[in-house]
Amino acid sequence: MSIAARSAYGLSRHARPVAIGVAVCAAAAAIAGAVALTRGEARGQTTVLAVTTIVAGCTFVAGGIVAWLRRPANLTGPLMMVAGFLLFGTSMAQAQQSLPFTVGLVIGAVPAAVVAQLVLAFPDGRLHSRWERLVVGAAYVDVVVLQVAMLMFMGFEHINGCPCPDNLLLIRDDARIHSALMGSQRVLTVVVTAALAVLLARRWRAASAPLRRAIAPVLWTTAVTIVLLVAAELTTDAVPRGLAAASRIALATVPIAYLLGLFTARIARVSVSDLVVELGRLPGPGQLRIALARALRDPSLELAYWIPDLETYVGLDGQPVDVGAAPGRAVTVVEHGGRRVAALIHDPALGENPELLGAVGSAAGLALENERLQAELRAQLEELRDSRARIVEAGDIARRRLERNLHDGAQQRLVALSVALGLAERKLTTDAQQAAAMLQAARGELTVALEELREIARGLHPAILSRGLAVALEGVAERSPVPVQLHVDGGARPPPSVEAAAYYVVSEALTNVARYAHASAATVRVARDAGRLRVEVSDDGLGGATITKGSGLQGLRDRVEAIGGHLEVQSQHGRGTRVIAVLPLQHRETTAETELGDANRD
Amino acid sequence: MRTVLIVDDHASFRAIARAALAERFTVVGEAVDGVEAVARATELRPDVVLVDVGLPGLDGFGVAAALATLDDPPQVVLTSSRDRRDLEPLIRDSPALGFVAKERLSATALGELLA
Repeated sequence: MSIAARSAYGLSRHARPVAIGVAVCAAAAAIAGAVALTRGEARGQTTVLAVTTIVAGCTFVAGGIVAWLRRPANLTGPLMMVAGFLLFGTSMAQAQQSLPFTVGLVIGAVPAAVVAQLVLAFPDGRLHSRWERLVVGAAYVDVVVLQVAMLMFMGFEHINGCPCPDNLLLIRDDARIHSALMGSQRVLTVVVTAALAVLLARRWRAASAPLRRAIAPVLWTTAVTIVLLVAAELTTDAVPRGLAAASRIALATVPIAYLLGLFTARIARVSVSDLVVELGRLPGPGQLRIALARALRDPSLELAYWIPDLETYVGLDGQPVDVGAAPGRAVTVVEHGGRRVAALIHDPALGENPELLGAVGSAAGLALENERLQAELRAQLEELRDSRARIVEAGDIARRRLERNLHDGAQQRLVALSVALGLAERKLTTDAQQAAAMLQAARGELTVALEELREIARGLHPAILSRGLAVALEGVAERSPVPVQLHVDGGARPPPSVEAAAYYVVSEALTNVARYAHASAATVRVARDAGRLRVEVSDDGLGGATITKGSGLQGLRDRVEAIGGHLEVQSQHGRGTRVIAVLPLQHRETTAETELGDANRD
Repeated sequence: MRTVLIVDDHASFRAIARAALAERFTVVGEAVDGVEAVARATELRPDVVLVDVGLPGLDGFGVAAALATLDDPPQVVLTSSRDRRDLEPLIRDSPALGFVAKERLSATALGELLA
């Protein structure tokens, strides 16, 4: 089941009673309208228009309730309900009393603006750009502000179909101001309609196939409705009223189109059952993506598999994939048996269809888990190849450094020693005193050379390890410039490779503490835990250490993983650093390792 | 006595070479890298330049090649603590007079090479 699908069902407890209340109100309004109609209270309006308006109001409220119950977070449902009640309200313009008459006049054109907002905000209920907000804002200015302003200067004595009740907004009956306002209202209506058409055309051009499928019915019904509404608005009374009635009929179909667009899941159910059959035939690698793309009808679908060890998503080739939603893409996580398996990277329009995503996700869970295992294997292989290359490279670098150290250090001293001894030999007969001084200097040189050789030998392999890990680590702790608290559990000696890895973890970590951490103290803990040796080095320094490519920590991780262990670095800024290595104690020794281990213990 | 310029980046070797050569040569100067060696040789005009092969930057072979282009060039003797056999092709192609292993350096050894 996908995360998106779960959140969409987070319906509040009050949703159902509210929906019932809205439905009851709508029914009452519709019945009141119908009763008024049969009693002949409608004035100056054809019965057809009155009936179609009530029908359109009913479909909007009903569609709004369904949409809201299924997608509580989406504004589309509430907007549709508002449009429905406004449509009921427009009938009040036919009333015989002043107040309902005036209210009816004010809200007469508002449904058109709500429909404009609905179509621009489809399918997620939000306006997406400054232009969309501007157009919707202009539409409301047109149908509310200009309408009210116009009514303030509009007497109804000379209007067709009157005598009418009083216009309560009337300040002064001024035909000039009134017709100027009406003219500007018409201009704004044309501009807003044109802008709306441009925005919708652009949306269509940019839309992916699934989005187009969702918005097509909405676009068509809305386009027809708006054209008819605007035509009815702009034409004079001389044009047959049939245009207005036709616009109401078109309007009544809009909510149906919205529901179609919102719930293509019902239609797509067939494709999910096809998918199940297809998955049963065990498709080859890469075929799963094609099958899912077909079931979701989103050719751009991408799959990324979750690798828990690496805490990252990878593609089928084992290469890391960034699933941080790119613009114009949405991500749905698929779980199988309660564990994260994969991420579907898909068109955002599918996010409006969580049932389909959920159904496809659960149908493909097992197949996705199988492909995930393949991807994991490849990722591990890739990592293994990388770490092997790094180990070889680290070996080369170490040997080069060793050659330099030998050449610049001990070798130079021995060379000087050789020359000095030759000189002393020649002086022995002529100047015994000088010869003795030279020999003494040569002994000093030899002592330094020996110390340098010892240092290099220790770098090659810490011979002190033959005395046990605890003793070797005491030596490391003593050499550390930062005070170290050392806790080493006793017990049987771990295999040499484990001892060496533990030694290098502590040695390298303490070197880093001294170099970078600005710590006042460090703690080393070595403990046995369920067949594993846990080595932990922590400090109270700056933190912020990471395992970057080519770093000493990377080399440590490679060494630890080479013997089947695991290395972790916890290092938040300002909270010190903790390097934890967990090493398996039952690691199988190679013959060479055993021989060397025995030799070391002599 | 012939004059010598000693070129090596290790101070300890320059000191011991100075002492070892003092018997039969006058050490007129020292240099720590190839560029300095060429400058000092041009300035001091020694009879002999004893130059370490493994210098930082311009190496001993480079120094030998550069000095060979001078008018009345000094005699260049290469030296190294590395195995002569590893360097043989380079030594053969160099205009330097010869090679003396560092550990065998003495006034006598250098004198024999120059004779």
